[in-house]
Amino acid sequence: MKKLIGTALVLALALLLVPPPARPAGTALPAPEKIVLKNGLTVFFLKNSDLPTVSLRLIVRGAGSAFDTAGTEGAAGLAAALMTKGTAKMDAEAIAEALDFMGASLFISTTDEYAQASGDSLAEHLPRLLEIVSDCLTTPAFKDDEFAKERALRIDGLKAAKDNPGQAVRLYFQKAYFGGHPLGRLDSGTEASLEQMTVQTVKDFYVKRYRPDRAIAAVVGAVDGPALTALLERTLGAWKNPAGAAPSDIIPPLPAPKGKSLLLVDKPDATQAYFALGAPGYAMGDKITPPAAVMNTLLGGRFTSWLNTELRIKRGLTYGASSTFRTWAAGGLFSAGSYTKNDKIGEMLDITLGLLDKAAAGAFTAEEVESSRNYIQGQFPRTLETNASKAGAYVRLAFYGLGFDYYDAYMAAIGKVTPAEVNKAAAALIPKDRYVLVVVGKAADIGPQLRKYGAWQEKKISAPGF
Amino acid sequence: MRKRAGLLALALAALALSLPAAFTKNDVKVHTLANGLKVLLVEDHNIPSIALYTFFRVGSRNERPGLTGVSHFIEHMMFNGTAAIGPGEFDRRMEFRGGSNNAYTGDDFTAYTDWFPPAALEAMIVMEADRMQGLAFVPEVFESERGVIASERRLSVENDNDSILGENVRATAIMAHPYHWDVIGWMSDILSWRRDEVMAYYRTYYAPGNAVLVVAGDLDPVKTLDLIKKYYEPIKTSPPPPPVSTVEPPQLGPKSVLIGKEAQAPGFQVVWHAPSAKDPDFLPLAILARPLLEGESSRLYRRLVRDEQLALDIGGGARETIDPLLFSIYVKPRPGADLDRIDRVIEEELDKVRKDGITSREFEKAMNGVRSDFYRGLQTVAGRADQLGTYELLYGDFGKLFTVMDDYAAVKIERVREVAAKYLTGNNKTTGKLIPEGGAK
Repeated sequence: MKKLIGTALVLALALLLVPPPARPAGTALPAPEKIVLKNGLTVFFLKNSDLPTVSLRLIVRGAGSAFDTAGTEGAAGLAAALMTKGTAKMDAEAIAEALDFMGASLFISTTDEYAQASGDSLAEHLPRLLEIVSDCLTTPAFKDDEFAKERALRIDGLKAAKDNPGQAVRLYFQKAYFGGHPLGRLDSGTEASLEQMTVQTVKDFYVKRYRPDRAIAAVVGAVDGPALTALLERTLGAWKNPAGAAPSDIIPPLPAPKGKSLLLVDKPDATQAYFALGAPGYAMGDKITPPAAVMNTLLGGRFTSWLNTELRIKRGLTYGASSTFRTWAAGGLFSAGSYTKNDKIGEMLDITLGLLDKAAAGAFTAEEVESSRNYIQGQFPRTLETNASKAGAYVRLAFYGLGFDYYDAYMAAIGKVTPAEVNKAAAALIPKDRYVLVVVGKAADIGPQLRKYGAWQEKKISAPGF
Repeated sequence: MRKRAGLLALALAALALSLPAAFTKNDVKVHTLANGLKVLLVEDHNIPSIALYTFFRVGSRNERPGLTGVSHFIEHMMFNGTAAIGPGEFDRRMEFRGGSNNAYTGDDFTAYTDWFPPAALEAMIVMEADRMQGLAFVPEVFESERGVIASERRLSVENDNDSILGENVRATAIMAHPYHWDVIGWMSDILSWRRDEVMAYYRTYYAPGNAVLVVAGDLDPVKTLDLIKKYYEPIKTSPPPPPVSTVEPPQLGPKSVLIGKEAQAPGFQVVWHAPSAKDPDFLPLAILARPLLEGESSRLYRRLVRDEQLALDIGGGARETIDPLLFSIYVKPRPGADLDRIDRVIEEELDKVRKDGITSREFEKAMNGVRSDFYRGLQTVAGRADQLGTYELLYGDFGKLFTVMDDYAAVKIERVREVAAKYLTGNNKTTGKLIPEGGAK
């Protein structure tokens, strides 16, 4: 039976004739039109009338959480959140009502490196959406009562995060890995920084860091270029550049662990233990990206990855295990994580560390590498399918200075990655004895299993901060 | 995460007021094989990718005590080997050809969702047809996957206060119908499912007559149908599964459930028995949910989060289900918030809609929201496949996707007040509270 089906499969594949309609080269991401407003703001535009909807993405470089100072952690996040909570013309209720009435959405939030406004609406409502976005970005009110409400919500949100060990482990890890480096600033702030925060600090952050000469925007959807240009001039075009040079938007080089750094966070009611392990990765656009992506797909980037196969598929220890590379302009991070029953965390860590050693030793086979290349290339088109994902890609590529043909070049490079390059990337990137490892769980149950890895710093989850 | 039950998703009614010219009922090619398998095909060359969605009419609704959670377990076992394709091979072969997949189990149906480049189409059809009938349930793999499910339950219910409260509220509100339990099932059942019982369940529900196949994307419909016929037609038809006959009796008075648990923040949920998706009262209730619960301008968000600052967030609504389920209001209270006060605020706001209904502006706003959500669901070929299959399963007619705008437009605004007064009553209500014990205050 097995053999018959196998034969049928081979035949089936041999007969797999009809390739998909040929696509012109260079179409992973269609080249957008470039609109430069009178105030200098650049907006990339692509028309797509398939559905009567439009997506806007706008980023402001240097307005992310990494630009908070040690004492004002959370100011960037508060500034972004408060921009939709009242402007010179509209109060928070009016903004919410206007957006909800249209069935539109507008979020202003921060990443480490930049702030981002994401707006999506029906095409017929784009003029009103742009008016609101522009109002929020250019005349935010930062009223005392809205500040107090948002700050209180965030303090409570941090408490709630500690009820969820999966969320908590990420916050503890970010602090443990980056420490005082700007990438260690929590977007949410900490309970201590939020208690001391004043609305003036948030206003100062806004005034200093939100300016059109630091912004890049993209619009994709069912709208015509000339109409859009007129709309943009009337709205975001009125955003004035302040006098004086913009503050630095440079993030210093990332820290690198010098040895093993181990942190155990005691959560006495946890029935599962969660771990996160991290080590240096590579910067956005680095030449090592294609082989590193092929390697990580195999190690922990898809369902049949080594980590998920050993921890979930073969042993049923967990619901999921993965590894990722995160990239910034200034550098990158490799991380791996999973969770299991309290009494299995030692077994899980042994297997994980063993797989990292195996990867670093260069054990990826030619067949695996071929599978990974196919997988990355096969899945890629879906990541740029929607208006929102295309608009997001335009602003990100412009932010990193990578050019709109980046993904075509990247896909071509993926197709050429060799096993030797993958094993070389693994040897260069997979940590051996230099990493940060954080475990959140019930210390009484898991502590004894952890001792063999070295000396652990211990924290109580009920203690303030991370 | 992949392969997770649709436990937490608020699958609120997301329907249409109008359709894009680019996607009409005529774009869907329909064919039913002699063995009962219904096939829907959509050709769309926007990206070089195909979405192949297989829906089975089986969910936790079809389970019984002792076998709770088994629909979701079979969803996991569908990746763990057949007589022809060994454990893990489905994923390995699919990923080698550039494909990825997921699956979800709900109260009413189970869906298998594959996304892959066009060159992988035949291989995917071969493997999907194979696992519709040939699951092996290898004993060691069966036990290992049982552990995965137990881990998933610990992750998504026992270590998640909102979920554990939701499970208790559901089980308190619904006493007889199988909606009594969540998709994940009870832990004691997870730990004791027997292989022979699970196999019998699989044979009952995994059959061509109980399935719908939707294939959308960069494909040739004629050639695709030929491939489907080639690999699915040999599958024998099975007797129809037994009907779900239990009807939830009317609730005769208010119910409540209180959970004491170590936590930083309390939890609060309130639910009322609601009509099924096909009931004429469903759409008016789905409309009511929007001005009441959706967005920061909704009545309850304003009262609970903005004005009185009792909560961090709120949500809820009516879910489209085959049998009557619940209209829910979820509140994420602030630490230390007075839960009785939250309950009173909700009742004050409900009094207004029971007495006066919603305004015409709120009605228009609800329609705009419905339209926006609808297009959001159709942005991708995968979204189109999912919507078509969902309508086919829930209503027995995918065409409902293309006419539902008329149904919405036909709802008279006073019906919203009527259904609020009919369903959101004290005797029909179940209240759930999670009170923190210990931990930091």
